[in-house]
Amino acid sequence: MTTLGKAVGQRTCQPLPVTSPPMRESPGDALKEYEELRRLLLSRERGELDELRDQLANKERRSQDVAAILPAAVKMSREHGGELAGALRPAVESSVRESIEKHPETFVNALHPIIGPIVRRSLAESMRRLLQSLNQSLEHTFSWRGLKWRFEALRTGKSFAEVVMLRSLVYRVEQVFLIHRETSMALLHVAADPALSRDSDMVAGMLSAIQDFARDSFQTGDDSTLDEFRMGELQVWIASGRSAYLAAVIRGNPSRELRTRLEEAIDSIHTLKGSALANFQGDTAPFESLRPELEGCLETRYAEKQGSRRPTRALFIITAVAAFIAAGLLALGLAKTRWSRFVRQLSSTPGIVVTDTEHNWFAKSAVNGLRDPAAADPAAIARAAGYDPARIDFSWKDYLALDDASVQRRFAQRFQLPAGTNASVHHGVLTLTGTPPYEWLDRVRHEATLVAGINTVVDQGAKVSYDRNLAQERFEARFGLPDSMNVKISNGVLVLNGEASHRWLTRVRAEATNLPGITRVDQSGAADLDQRTFAQSKSIIEHAFVYFLVNKDNIATEGFAALSRLPDEIRRCETAAHRLGQDISLEIDGYADAVGDAAANANLSQRRADKVREFLLSCGFASDMLEAKGLGKQEQAPDAKPLPEESDRRAALKVITRPIASKP
Amino acid sequence: MIQKKVCMIGASGVGKTSLVSKFVHSMFSDKYLTTVGVRIDKKSITVEGIEMTLMIWDLAGDDDYQRLQTSYLRGTSGYLLVADGTRLVTLDQIIEIQARVTAAVGAAPFLLALNKADLATQWEITDERMADLKARGWNSFKTSAKEGAGVEEAFTELGRRMLQPA
Repeated sequence: MTTLGKAVGQRTCQPLPVTSPPMRESPGDALKEYEELRRLLLSRERGELDELRDQLANKERRSQDVAAILPAAVKMSREHGGELAGALRPAVESSVRESIEKHPETFVNALHPIIGPIVRRSLAESMRRLLQSLNQSLEHTFSWRGLKWRFEALRTGKSFAEVVMLRSLVYRVEQVFLIHRETSMALLHVAADPALSRDSDMVAGMLSAIQDFARDSFQTGDDSTLDEFRMGELQVWIASGRSAYLAAVIRGNPSRELRTRLEEAIDSIHTLKGSALANFQGDTAPFESLRPELEGCLETRYAEKQGSRRPTRALFIITAVAAFIAAGLLALGLAKTRWSRFVRQLSSTPGIVVTDTEHNWFAKSAVNGLRDPAAADPAAIARAAGYDPARIDFSWKDYLALDDASVQRRFAQRFQLPAGTNASVHHGVLTLTGTPPYEWLDRVRHEATLVAGINTVVDQGAKVSYDRNLAQERFEARFGLPDSMNVKISNGVLVLNGEASHRWLTRVRAEATNLPGITRVDQSGAADLDQRTFAQSKSIIEHAFVYFLVNKDNIATEGFAALSRLPDEIRRCETAAHRLGQDISLEIDGYADAVGDAAANANLSQRRADKVREFLLSCGFASDMLEAKGLGKQEQAPDAKPLPEESDRRAALKVITRPIASKP
Repeated sequence: MIQKKVCMIGASGVGKTSLVSKFVHSMFSDKYLTTVGVRIDKKSITVEGIEMTLMIWDLAGDDDYQRLQTSYLRGTSGYLLVADGTRLVTLDQIIEIQARVTAAVGAAPFLLALNKADLATQWEITDERMADLKARGWNSFKTSAKEGAGVEEAFTELGRRMLQPA
């Protein structure tokens, strides 16, 4: 081992002679030894080699290694030029594009925090400018100073805008040129007033020329620049950059801040377009994108501290106007709603049909339509809705509403519904419930159907209320009380005492029990006046014998007395019969005495009856109610008391009654 | 839109300003020439289908009183040398001026306009001189600011040359 150790020590000093070992025992041993030697010599390297192999083969490890050195590599690559960026660009661009197409919301979310504030700031800035200029013009329009300026404008012949400008403007950047230093060409030109932008190229050229002129004339050297020059109210400020410069044409007295602003702008322009500026060959199109930078320099600053001053007046007036408009719109909306609510209310009122309305603010409003006279008063509805009825022209055409509510209203108006009584109308049927007073109910029963829209009255559900003490009064009110009649009601029995007409009695008999408190009629004590009159009259007529002379048809003197009474009595009898519902006719019977033959007597008795009939006809009685019969010799009943002889020579009347209705 | 700066160069009185006035409508007055020493005008032309704007810097004439201000030449894409065909001396002057211009701006396309071609009887430039100019590689146009002859052509040719790669 020690020799080997020595040999190893030598070999390490002399790497080559491995090919010629000092002694060789056998090829197999030699190989073994050699291997052993190699193992001993290179064991560390082999370990490292294995490690390296593993490192190369093991993807994970390789990734870890690359990850460890990648940031440094990228950094280094950037320092040595843009090659890496160039190589990565297509891959990054396409991956970004793909990503945007597939997951736009990811980008929206990522960009939102950046773009949001920019947009907000830009909007806020625009709003601020708008407010400021509005405020300015309002101030100039309404303030005392504004009036003063107007007067000044009038006096000096200048325009008002000019005076305002002179008095209030601190400065205004009217134009900004971006001029290429080498070629003196205007790369871009912006102007506050578009009318100013004529021939910007030539102006830019002359600006350059003037600078050159000044430099040459006063031999200031190439590095020095003309920073500003002034003529009257105008001055030109120049902010120089490496390849281009900005020239701002300013009216008034600009603040130093403006210079900083211009310098920042030219710096940023060089940052953005440095190479394009350096390689400018006459094409100005690439610089168009710088317009926002230049426009940012078009400042206007007014007198007084605009920055710290809030445009309160404008805000106030805008707010006031907005509030006014809003209030107006609100009022308009409310008024409209109120009016349509009123019209709806009118339309839904039973008995009112609105056909046309017109709502006016200043003139009278108008409502046209149909109205049932019983319908609610539209003026009252208007008043309830908060309108002055005098300011509305109502134009109604009358009509009868047949809807249930209108009919009910019409009924109630006519009959004044008593307390405790309910009335409802449905399809022409008036249903009464509750406890209607008898009188009212009675009237309703008779008259309700006179109300348009009511065909039937149903009152089975109603419990009639009445005052028992009033029964007699009610009876008298209903039937009237004839003078000769006394009425008493006890325990529901109506007791009649006295005389009354047949008609009255008949009616009482038929209807008295309809009255509450009367269940029965006792008329045993009541006399029928008409009946009596008729009976009396009938008896008088039938006992008025008209006597004739012997064997003659001439009326005997005593016969005349009876005859003369007959017409009046017959009329009285007829009247009474009529009251009883009867018509009368008269049978006139002629008689003869026993003397002479029967045929002659029959003839004589007929003539005698005819005589009386003729008399009655001459008194105006209708012929069809008079029938004359010749009865000849009157046969005496065997047991009858014999009449005097002259009574045989007579004519007598019989009253025959028949009901009026049976008369054809 | 391509813009190119072009300078008008020549001795006093050769008619540079008249040539420009013939070619464009000016916005600045001639006074600039005597004060600032330059007057700038603009003219749009179309060369081989390409529209271009020439910013024409009319430089004050070079003479004993006013030297050519070479700083105005800076950034020029080409220039038009102008000599008076009726005064041979102006041609000599322009050759000398051209050398100064080349020193100031390097090689740039240029043309020589021999002006006042309308005054044929007083023409002083011989065919020999013309051949000599040609030998120098100078292209010349006979122009007449008075009649307008050759002016448009001279500017168009200059524009064409400026568009060619150097």
